[in-house]
Amino acid sequence: MSLTSPAPSTPVLSTALRLIGWGGLGLIAVAVSLSDFLAHAPAGAAGVGPMLSAPSEAFPFGTDLLGRDLLSETLHGLSVTAGHALLAASVAILVGGLFGAVAARLPRALSLTLRAGMGVLAAIPALLLAILVIGLTARLYAPLAAGLAAAPLAFVRGYDRVEVQSKSTHAEYARATGIAASTLLRRDLTYEFRDTLATVAARALAAVTIILSTVSFLGFGATPPSRDLGLMIAAAKANYLQAWWTAAFPALALVLLILCARLAAALGEGERP
Amino acid sequence: MSEPRRILELTELSVAHAGVPELDRFSLTLEAGETVVMLGDAGSGKEALIRVLGGFAEKSDEISGTVRFADTEARPAAKRARPPIRIAYLPSPLAQPFVGHVPVLSQLSRVVARKLGSPLTTAQEELRLALERLGGAPPLFVFDQKPRLLDPLTMAWGLLGSVTAQTPDLVLADHPFADLGPTAIRTLLAALSAEQKRLGFALIYTTGSLQPAARLGARVIVMRGGKVIEEGAVARLASGHAHAYTNTLFKALPQLEFDKPKGRSAARGQPLLQVYGLDLIGDGRREGITFELRRGASLALVGEEGSGRRELARAVLGLDRAPIGRVVFDAVDLNVLTQTMTSRLRRRVAFITGADDALDPRMSLWDTVDEPLRAHLNLSGDLVGGYREAALKRVGLSSHDGRRTVATLSAFDKRRLQVARAIVGAPLLAVVDEPLRGLDAFAQTVMREVLTDFRTQQGPAFLVITSDFTVAQALADDAMVLKDRKLLERGPIVDILKSPRDPYTKGLIEAVTFPGLSQSPPAV
Repeated sequence: MSLTSPAPSTPVLSTALRLIGWGGLGLIAVAVSLSDFLAHAPAGAAGVGPMLSAPSEAFPFGTDLLGRDLLSETLHGLSVTAGHALLAASVAILVGGLFGAVAARLPRALSLTLRAGMGVLAAIPALLLAILVIGLTARLYAPLAAGLAAAPLAFVRGYDRVEVQSKSTHAEYARATGIAASTLLRRDLTYEFRDTLATVAARALAAVTIILSTVSFLGFGATPPSRDLGLMIAAAKANYLQAWWTAAFPALALVLLILCARLAAALGEGERP
Repeated sequence: MSEPRRILELTELSVAHAGVPELDRFSLTLEAGETVVMLGDAGSGKEALIRVLGGFAEKSDEISGTVRFADTEARPAAKRARPPIRIAYLPSPLAQPFVGHVPVLSQLSRVVARKLGSPLTTAQEELRLALERLGGAPPLFVFDQKPRLLDPLTMAWGLLGSVTAQTPDLVLADHPFADLGPTAIRTLLAALSAEQKRLGFALIYTTGSLQPAARLGARVIVMRGGKVIEEGAVARLASGHAHAYTNTLFKALPQLEFDKPKGRSAARGQPLLQVYGLDLIGDGRREGITFELRRGASLALVGEEGSGRRELARAVLGLDRAPIGRVVFDAVDLNVLTQTMTSRLRRRVAFITGADDALDPRMSLWDTVDEPLRAHLNLSGDLVGGYREAALKRVGLSSHDGRRTVATLSAFDKRRLQVARAIVGAPLLAVVDEPLRGLDAFAQTVMREVLTDFRTQQGPAFLVITSDFTVAQALADDAMVLKDRKLLERGPIVDILKSPRDPYTKGLIEAVTFPGLSQSPPAV
C-alpha cells in the first residue's frame, strides 16, 4: 500500500502518435487555408496546361484531361473535402455522441428505446445510410448526410460509455450522498467528452471523410464545379491506365487526411466516431 | 538431534529499480519451519526482496549479492535460474492475481500442476485435499467460478490451498490477507501456521500491518527505505525498548481499551435516524431490528462480511428498500418519499469507505471536493476554494497538485480525499464503512486521527460498519453486533468488550486482542 501517490504516467507511443497526427492535420489545415495562394490556378480552371501532361517542373502533379493543373485541383479538392468532413464530424459528435450520453440518463424506458433504435440504425452500413439521406434530401446536404450516417455508431458508443459510468460504484456512492442525476450527467459530459473530445473528433473526422469521399466517388456527393477528392478520383477513372497521376495525387491527399486523423486518435478504431 | 535444514541464505542482497535503490545489502538466513515477518511501509524494500526470490525481477532491476538455496552453492542473485527448492507465492486477493474470464479453480490447478510437474487432474485432487486439510476452507467446487463471483475471503482460502498443495520448501507471502477482517486474518494465519508445522516450510511474510506480525509471533525484520532498521521477536519490538521507527509502528497497533470511559450515549440529543422493525431476511419470522441514532451520536455495526451490516446500512439510507420495516431519517419516513425527495435528504449524508472505487477516477482532486458544494449550494468560486482548501488541509492533502486525477492517487490519498469531500458537505450523518481496510500501519494511524478529528470538530453522527472492534471503539461509542443478518447484541462498546454475551462477539474481540502486546480482556 503506497503512502504517496505515484506520478501519473502517459503512454509514450500513443502520445507520439497523437502528436504526429495532430501535426499532420495542422499542416493540412494550413495548406487548406492557403489553398488559394498555393494553387497556381483557380478551382476548375481548364486549359492551364497541355492535356494529360505527366508530372514535370511546371506541373509537379501533372495535368488532367481538360488541362487542369492537378496540384491546384488537389489543393482545392482537399479544401472542399476537409471542410465538408469537419462539418460532418461536428454533426456526428453532436447528434451521435452527445445525444447518446444524454440519452443514457433519460428515464429508463425512453433511454432503452432510443438505444435499441439507434442500435438498429448502427447495424446499417453508414455508406448506405448516407446515400439514403442524400436521396431523401439533396446532394447539397452530403456533409449532413455523412454526419447523420456516422451518428448512430457515435450514439451507441456515447450511450454505452455513460451507462457504464452510471452503474459504477462511484456513481452509486454519489447518489447515496444526494448528488443529483443532472450533476452526474455533467460529470460524464465533462470527463467523457472534454477529456476525450480530441480523440473522438479525430476518429469522427476519419470516419466521415471515408463516407464523404466514397459517396462522391459513387456520384452521390459533390457536384461540379465544386470538386472534392472523391469526385476527382472518380473523374480520373477514364484515364487512369494511361495517366496514373490523375488519380494517384488526389488519392494520396485523401489517404494523408485520413491517416493523420487516425494517428491523432492514436490509431483507435478509425471507422467509428 | 539433527541440525535444522537451511533453506535460504541471502548475502548482501542489493536491488535498484531503474537506478533507484530499493534494497540495500540485505542478508538473511532462513531454516526449514522458520518464519520471518518483513514489516515496513511501501518502498521499504520488502517488495524488492519478493521480486528477487519469487523470480519476478524486472529488466530494469540491478541486483547484486548472492543467494544460496538449501545445500547448493551460493550463486549471484542476479542470475536467473530455476531454484533447486520449491518456492510458492501467496499473494493478496487485493492484488488481483487471477485472470478475470477463467474460473479460479482452473487457474489454481494450473499453478499447482506446474509446480508439481503433474497432470491437471492430479493437481486438482491435490488442491482438493489441501483445502480439506485447511479446515474452514470452502470445498473445491466453490472455486469453479470466475474471480468476480468470489469474495476476498474465499479467494484467500483458495490461494492458501494452492500454496500448501505445492508442498513448498519456502513460501513467499506477499501481504496475503491485507484486505480481510481481523477474524478472517486470525483464522487464515492459524491455518497457515498449522500447515507450516505439518509441511515444515520456511515462510517469509511481508506486511505493512502489525496484526499479522503480532499474530504470527515470529522473528520480525523492520524495514525502511531498503534498510533493516532492526530485527527481533515481536514481544521485544513491542516493548518500547526499540528503535524510534519501530516504536512508531507499534504504537499504531490498534488496541482495545477495556477501561475507556463511556462516550456520549446514543440515547441523548435529537433523533436523527430511527429504524423500526427492519427485517433484512424478510420472511417475517423474527422481530426486526429496531434502533435509534441521535444527532452527534455514534453507532458501530460490527460483523463480518455477510453478517448483514452493509445491507442494514443500505436499507437505512434508502438505497435498497428493506422487505419489512420502517426507516425515519431526520423525522421523515424514507419509505413514503419519492426518489427525488430521498435524494434531497441524502445531501446531509456522507460516505467514507474502504472501497477504492468510491470516487470518480476521472475527476481531479479539487473537483472531487468541490462537487458537493457546487451541487447543493450557490457559492462563489472564492468561497468554494476556501472551503476546499480548509478541508484538504485538515486531511493533509493541501500540498497535492489539485489538478491530479483521482485515478493517479494512492489508496491512502483516496481515503483522505473521501474525508475531505465529507467535511465540505457538513453532513448530519457520516457512514464509515471499513475505512482502514488494506492500509499500512502508519496510514491506519493517520486515517484514524483524521476521522476522529472530523467527528469531534464537526460533530456528525457516525454509523461505522466494521468487523474490527478496535476500529469500532476508535470511531463509535455504541455497537450492534450482527451475524447472519440478525442482531446478536447491542450496547456501549466498553460494556460489550467487558462482557460479550455471544460467542461470536467474543471471537470478534479475540481477533483483535494480542496477549503480551496489548491489554488482554478481563476474564469473562
